[in-house]
Amino acid sequence: MNKMKEDFKLDSLPKHNVYQVPEHYFDRLPTRVMERTTAAEKHIPAWQQGLWVSLRAVAAPLVLLLVFVGVFFFNVQDQDKDEFAAVQPLAEQEILDYLHYNEDLETADFAELSYLTKQEFTSDFLNISSTAAEAELEYYHIRNIEE
Amino acid sequence: MEDKEILDKFSNPESQNMAFNQLVRKYQQKIYWHIRKMVIDHDDSDDLTQEVFVKVWKNLGNFRQDAQLYTWIYRIATNECLTFLTNKKKRFFLPIHDVAAELAEKIDTSPDISGDEIQLKLQKALLRLPDKQRLVFNMKYYDEMKYEEISEILGTSVGALKTSYHLAVKKIEEFIKRD
Repeated sequence: MNKMKEDFKLDSLPKHNVYQVPEHYFDRLPTRVMERTTAAEKHIPAWQQGLWVSLRAVAAPLVLLLVFVGVFFFNVQDQDKDEFAAVQPLAEQEILDYLHYNEDLETADFAELSYLTKQEFTSDFLNISSTAAEAELEYYHIRNIEE
Repeated sequence: MEDKEILDKFSNPESQNMAFNQLVRKYQQKIYWHIRKMVIDHDDSDDLTQEVFVKVWKNLGNFRQDAQLYTWIYRIATNECLTFLTNKKKRFFLPIHDVAAELAEKIDTSPDISGDEIQLKLQKALLRLPDKQRLVFNMKYYDEMKYEEISEILGTSVGALKTSYHLAVKKIEEFIKRD
């Protein structure tokens, strides 16, 4: 063996495959490859799969949140319309006349007006100037009511 | 079945699967042994061979027929082998000779590797070569390919391949004499 090693020339060595495969390996390999190519055709890329899984996890809470937000804004807008829609088309004089001659007004209504004056909401709320509102309050002796 | 016939049938959706099955049957052994001599382990070779054919399947529609089909498939297989070996070295943070030592140990211990002492020694000597030089040696010595074909697969000049092969033979002979 040592002599053989010393004189070793690759050309003198017969070519021999030292590796073996399991029995019938090459008979089965085409079927296994075909299975993989079929799977590859149906395969959804990993990033898309991940995205879909994440979306499914957040989809239900997201839809619920959107519904709540939608309902909330719809109601707020509707409420604003209700409060101001009736007052806005009226002229200042019409409101003043109403306050002068409407006998159904109760002291509690003016108490509420007084509160609004303090809050500086009067002009926005009644759609009249704050001076006019104060004049009306004096007319009905609001100070006495407060006392 | 000739390559041209396989390609023609592959371009027809109705005969695509049949054509590809023929292609796999025609080239599976050459590709498997090409890979096996590089990665040594059967399971790794099996995975890589399947991966090569899946890539062939995906890209065969874009294959330019001015190149030979088998050199194109060989190129895919060669790239898969080199990527696998590079990743193996990176994964274990090992220098080249350690991966070679790991593969050499497989030659000694694996039940599906057998041969006389000098044949096994030759396989271990091959593992001492850089991966690309080992590829050149395998394709020239075992697959008996022409330098022009190897050049097409590896994208290296014929002159450089000749030099690489002769150097590889020298290194192997020296290794076997010395060890």
